[in-house]
Amino acid sequence: MSKQRSDLLQGTLDLLILKTLALEPMHGWGITQRIQQISEGALQVNQGSLYPALVRLEQQGWIASEWGTSENNRQAKYYALTKTGRKQLKEESDNWKRVSTAIEQILQAS
Amino acid sequence: MKLLRRLFALFRRNQQERQLDAELQFHLQQATEENIRRGMNEAEARRAAQLSFGGVEQVKEAYRDVSRLRWIEEVGQDLRFGLRMLRKRPGFTLIAILTLSLGIGANTAIFSLLNVALLRPLPIAQPEQFIALSNSVTGRLFPTFSYPNYKDMQARTEVFSGLLAYRFAPLSLSHDGLNERLWGYSVTGNYFDVLGIKPALGRLISLDDDRTRGAHPVTVISHQCWQQRFGSDPSVIGKEVIVNGRNFTIIGVAPLGFVGTEIIAAPEMWFPMMMQAQLEMGDDWLDKRGVENIFVQGRLKPGVSLVQAQAALDAVVAQLAREFPNNNEGRRVLLTPPGLMNGTMRAPVLGFAGVLMVVVGLVLLLACANLANLLLARATERRREMAVRLALGAKRFQLVRQLLVESVLLALAGGALGCLLAWWLTGLAATYKPPMDVPANFALHLDRRVLLFAFVLSIVTGVVFGLLPALQATKTNLVAALKDEASFGTYRNSWLKNSLIVFQVALSLVLLIGGGLMVRALQQAETIPLGFDPQNAIAVSFDLRLQGYDAAQGREAEKRLLERVRALPGVKAAGLADMVPVDLHFSSSSVFIEGQSLERTANTPRAMSNRVTPGYFSAMQTRLVQGREFTEQDNDQAPPVVIVNETFARRFWPNESPLHKRFRLGNANAPLLEIVGVAQDGKYAGLNEDPKSFVYRSLWQSRLSSSSLIVRAETEPQTLIAAVRRELQQLDPHLPIASTKTMTEQLSFALLPARLAASALGSFGLLALALAAIGLYGVMAYSVAQRTRELGIRIALGAQASDIHKLVVGQGLKLASIGIALGLLISLAVMRLMKNFLFGVSATDPLTFVAIGVVLLLVALLACYLPARRATKVDPLIALRTE
Repeated sequence: MSKQRSDLLQGTLDLLILKTLALEPMHGWGITQRIQQISEGALQVNQGSLYPALVRLEQQGWIASEWGTSENNRQAKYYALTKTGRKQLKEESDNWKRVSTAIEQILQAS
Repeated sequence: MKLLRRLFALFRRNQQERQLDAELQFHLQQATEENIRRGMNEAEARRAAQLSFGGVEQVKEAYRDVSRLRWIEEVGQDLRFGLRMLRKRPGFTLIAILTLSLGIGANTAIFSLLNVALLRPLPIAQPEQFIALSNSVTGRLFPTFSYPNYKDMQARTEVFSGLLAYRFAPLSLSHDGLNERLWGYSVTGNYFDVLGIKPALGRLISLDDDRTRGAHPVTVISHQCWQQRFGSDPSVIGKEVIVNGRNFTIIGVAPLGFVGTEIIAAPEMWFPMMMQAQLEMGDDWLDKRGVENIFVQGRLKPGVSLVQAQAALDAVVAQLAREFPNNNEGRRVLLTPPGLMNGTMRAPVLGFAGVLMVVVGLVLLLACANLANLLLARATERRREMAVRLALGAKRFQLVRQLLVESVLLALAGGALGCLLAWWLTGLAATYKPPMDVPANFALHLDRRVLLFAFVLSIVTGVVFGLLPALQATKTNLVAALKDEASFGTYRNSWLKNSLIVFQVALSLVLLIGGGLMVRALQQAETIPLGFDPQNAIAVSFDLRLQGYDAAQGREAEKRLLERVRALPGVKAAGLADMVPVDLHFSSSSVFIEGQSLERTANTPRAMSNRVTPGYFSAMQTRLVQGREFTEQDNDQAPPVVIVNETFARRFWPNESPLHKRFRLGNANAPLLEIVGVAQDGKYAGLNEDPKSFVYRSLWQSRLSSSSLIVRAETEPQTLIAAVRRELQQLDPHLPIASTKTMTEQLSFALLPARLAASALGSFGLLALALAAIGLYGVMAYSVAQRTRELGIRIALGAQASDIHKLVVGQGLKLASIGIALGLLISLAVMRLMKNFLFGVSATDPLTFVAIGVVLLLVALLACYLPARRATKVDPLIALRTE
């Protein structure tokens, strides 16, 4: 169901997570930090949406999780992009580009 | 199973929750550390982290929403929805549950029989090592051994950690002023030790209680005996009781639930084997290799396989055959499972339970077919609902799951009710007392294994009758369904419904023919030549030996009794006999004809025998075809005489008169018996036995034994019973009477298997017929409803009511006829299996086959008639407008 109903915000978060994980496997905290860093604090990820999103992506088979040890020696759940996840990332980023270009054009027009 | 799965789910759920906790904790810790790095103190840092995170619980809730836990919740939803759907149609639900409970209940009850007979281990230590020994002599299987053979096998085999022996002993117990007739065992001293039984009270019989003949007057009583006859009195230990005229001391009480190693027998007392002569009126057979009357069982040493044990036993038996060829030549001793007379009763019990299991299985299958049909009809009604849900994005798997949950719910409810039914049925069986002097024990239990069986059966049943309709219901053409093009879309499914109907009709026909044959057999049983007249006769059994009478006293008492009974008003004749036909206990002995060469005991022809007094033949109304009856002069002073039956005479002297010929019975050194008469043939051990050789000896010329008094009344014998009992009481106030019954009652036991089979098959057959009729009606009614428009057009085009009638009835009858034909074919093949229960009726009795077939056709006609009438009432105007 979530596939058809994915609203913009949610879709965006999925895209951001997939993109972040494309660089390297990462735990939940790391994902929020990375998104904040790269967007220079412009995008704040709400934890209340992050974890459900992670489960959803895992159920779709786009990411896989594994318990590992964090840089400061704590047990943490690491998420990694799967093969289908990589394909999905490409699709979604293409899609995003089309949409954002379109929105950009509309905004420019006025 | 279900419990396991749920536990597993719970466990998984916990694990998932724990992992989620850990993951979120990790996140919070990282956030706190980050804050500290930015210069906050620790408390502040944690607070800030929590604030920025939002509610932990909310996050978890959101997480759960999308996580796998939903699956369980969805099934929960399915359950709730299923319950709602079932509640919405109480009629359907009720019929379904009732049908299922009959099917599942009957299966559970029969399974509990199989469970007790074959699956449940004996209540002894390590039952898996415990085995029984049986004899096979020239193909004849029998369970008993002679004591000398037992002792030799025990001494010469190394494979058993213990070999025990026991023998049934009829008892007359006197204690606290009461005389009671019951059964016990004479057992070897190692009996309780080998079985690993510990006493509930006092001590049990040990090797030291079984050393010297006649020197150990001790007894152990069963827990039930202790409760019922001695009021659970702990001071019963050390109590003196009189058994068979002798004093015995009670030394112990066996534990609750232990009643020996026979499944269907429950003895109440145990005695040392060395006391057997004292219990059996001085009849000491411990040294007689020819007297084979004890059961032998044993425990294999750890690590010894059955094959090894059998090989060791074969070697010993071969030795015994060389040393005692007269008794042991041609003997093989086989290892058999203990429990049903050391395996000899196993095959009949298995056969009986197996046939019943097949029958109840068929009934359940039938119930499934019927419910599947009902559900198929409902599936068509629910096509629209399913289509809407599919269109809204539900997956087909989810819909099938939900429909299956519904049918399994129905089956479980039916199963629960069925267990109640089975509980009631087994309760009935437990209270049944066979009209026979045996320590019978019909205790059936609904133990865990039986309940598990019922549970699994319910689930399987639910899936079996639910799966097809569920698949059908969800295989929908969305567009057609939503447009409500019902009348065309579903016609393709009708082959499924039709074949179900054909199957049902065939099955109910098979069951009904089975029942019909049984009923015919019972009718025939009334006309089977019994060789005596059971009407207006009674039989009373007692045993004077158990009261300590010797032969002379016993004869005297018996003669007095006969005189007094013959003097009673309404008595036509009276006589005594060892046993009354039809009785399974008749045993056969070897026959040695005078002047013919001797053969080994094992190879000689055999004949069954009975001992009777003068008056027996007139009391039984058994006709003498030649010679004379016994007289009072045929006593122990006169030369021994016998009366043989026609089969015996024909067998040994086919072309001459058997009168005054002589033979020996039992062994080659027994006294010669002279034939003075020939009696008509009859039935002795069973109603459907082939003609058997039979010998009557004079009771006055034999040692004292247990007797039955047979009294022929002028009219209804019931009133005589009390008078005869009074005479016996006057003869000896302490004499316990083993049984009193009319001869028709005695016969009814022989007919019991046939009666049971007839009523089971008959009632299940009727149930099946009702189910098939309802099914046929349902399908026809549904088909008429579906074809309303077509029928309307036909009527509009000028079809007459009779044409419509023919059309609908013809369709139904076509199905029924195929079913009947199929059923007849199956019956022809299957009924052979019942041959053993059918007396005097062929397994392909044409009358039964035709009659049942016609009945079924009529029922089918009725089931089609109602829908057909409705079809003729179709108003073409309305019919064409409805869609």
